[in-house]
Amino acid sequence: MRNLLAIYGRTLTAIICLMVLFWVLAMILVPQIAMLHNSLWWTEKSGDAAAVTLRIDALYNDIGVLELDLAAAGDDEKAKITAEIESKRSEIAELESKEVSARRVYGFANYTRMSALHFGIFVKTMFFSALVTVLALIVCYPIAFAAAQVFTGEKAALLMLGLVVPYAINELLRIYAWLMILDYQGVINSALAWMGLVDFSKGTAIPFLQSPGAVFAAMIYAYILFMVFPIYNTLETLDRNQLDAARDLGAATARIHWRVAIPHAKPGIAVGCIMTFMLSAGSYSVPQIMTRGQGGDWFSQLIYRQFFDANNWNIGAAYAFTLLVACLVFIFLVMRMFGVGIREIAR
Amino acid sequence: MSTAAAIGRTPVGKISASGRKWSELLLGAYLVLFFVYLFAPLLVMSLAAFNTYPQPSITQWQGWTLKWFGALADDQRILAGLVNSVLIGLGVIAAAIPLGLAGALLLTRVEGRYNGILYGVLVSPILTPGIILGISTLVFWRNFGVAGGLLLAGTAQATFIASYSMLMFMARLQRQDRTLEEAALDLGASPWLLFRRVTLPFLMPTIATAAVIGFLQSIENYNTTVFAIGGDWTLVTEIGSRFRFGLTPVINAIGVIFVILTIIGAIAWTILRQRE
Repeated sequence: MRNLLAIYGRTLTAIICLMVLFWVLAMILVPQIAMLHNSLWWTEKSGDAAAVTLRIDALYNDIGVLELDLAAAGDDEKAKITAEIESKRSEIAELESKEVSARRVYGFANYTRMSALHFGIFVKTMFFSALVTVLALIVCYPIAFAAAQVFTGEKAALLMLGLVVPYAINELLRIYAWLMILDYQGVINSALAWMGLVDFSKGTAIPFLQSPGAVFAAMIYAYILFMVFPIYNTLETLDRNQLDAARDLGAATARIHWRVAIPHAKPGIAVGCIMTFMLSAGSYSVPQIMTRGQGGDWFSQLIYRQFFDANNWNIGAAYAFTLLVACLVFIFLVMRMFGVGIREIAR
Repeated sequence: MSTAAAIGRTPVGKISASGRKWSELLLGAYLVLFFVYLFAPLLVMSLAAFNTYPQPSITQWQGWTLKWFGALADDQRILAGLVNSVLIGLGVIAAAIPLGLAGALLLTRVEGRYNGILYGVLVSPILTPGIILGISTLVFWRNFGVAGGLLLAGTAQATFIASYSMLMFMARLQRQDRTLEEAALDLGASPWLLFRRVTLPFLMPTIATAAVIGFLQSIENYNTTVFAIGGDWTLVTEIGSRFRFGLTPVINAIGVIFVILTIIGAIAWTILRQRE
């Protein structure tokens, strides 16, 4: 702190500290705490309270109808309708004052009430996200190694260009490409029909989009490159002489990777795994596009529904917090597994 | 001893030479396959933008057309979404760059006991699922009566885009020659002058890079935005909602434009990197 003060003086140091404080508190920590807090309470309504809510809704409907009447009514009826609207308004005001006093109850019920169906969806989401991560790691390691160590100069630059372009193209459009491929009348079914394996007129084409495999396929495609770049970044710093030395000493290719390259790439592998898993588990875009609201839900869609369809923010917050904890556990496990710290992870 | 080593090495060298040729061939084939996997779907998506057939398809081909690009130019919701995206993007840069810079200055210039924790907290938005950032921002600001919209979407995005810019600033600051600042102080420069004339010019290239990357991240963001956008929409959330209702090759036309812009941008980026 003294260092900062000595160079930038009191005012600038204060501004820097205040900005970081705002970022940490108002943007990172307190919003998460607010979400956690929301997940720990719910409003309890007795049978009466539910009836009150229904009655209020009915009254609002009546007023809407009366207002339409009012616009169409003649002068003699206007006064009568206006009076009726007024009386309904006052009844609403009275009922709403009662409704506000619905009891707020604290507890863990938002978590424990998760139905077996929803828990199954949670498990499915976690399972496929882990599978995406493992597959991406296996597929991407050779690519990252080739880009970082095998090719040089023009070839390496071209390879990087080929990786950057699909990486930078919008996520939704990349997923959309797979929708077109796996759609009922999409590329694969059309190819199968052309080969005479399926027949659209007989309805024997394969409904890919109804299986979770479609979401899985699009997820791999959407997030696979998030595995390549972190591994590439660490492998690029590996001195090629180390690989040559290992080879000269007679180590087989597999052994060179296992004993030299992979240990060096550990932080990159850890970051790649964390990013891929986190993006897959928290992806709303992939299931939303691939299921188009018709296939089975994924966990992110359940959260969205709680917030914007069911309008139950408390359960939505509980589900969101569950997802956050799952990701934290994954990050912790990966850090333990690869023996890397947070400093090495986010560079 | 040396002859023994030479004798021992020759056959190994021979085997590995032919073995390397094979493994290079195998690697080449693998790379070709991987790039087909990466680009073929994008080709399918782009091609459908030029098909007359009103559903996005390349298998029901009814002739070439450019009409979907015309329809795109007339699509008011998409154009309004683009304007919203640019507005949010500019706002996010304005917030995220100063925040990221402040965080980087604090972390590189202060050797405190809690540095590790602060670092962990400041990079945590990168490791948090995007939907969580959107939700927590939405839930938090509701307490102050702020509903979902452009402002909250920008706030939620700035939370993690600031983390990315902070990492870029930290990398740059670690290469800074501190004696320059000390010399300026010795010559009697005020802290403001020092910051404006020494620190900022040194950071300028990083500020530019961070601004471009932050702007692109903001425009492309979907998962965070969709939770915090409320009744408003951006280009990307509008594309997202078209998959439920009214999916036409107009979306593919947007795709073609994105692909072309990305290729141009990536080539420019590669050339710039080569020059460095």
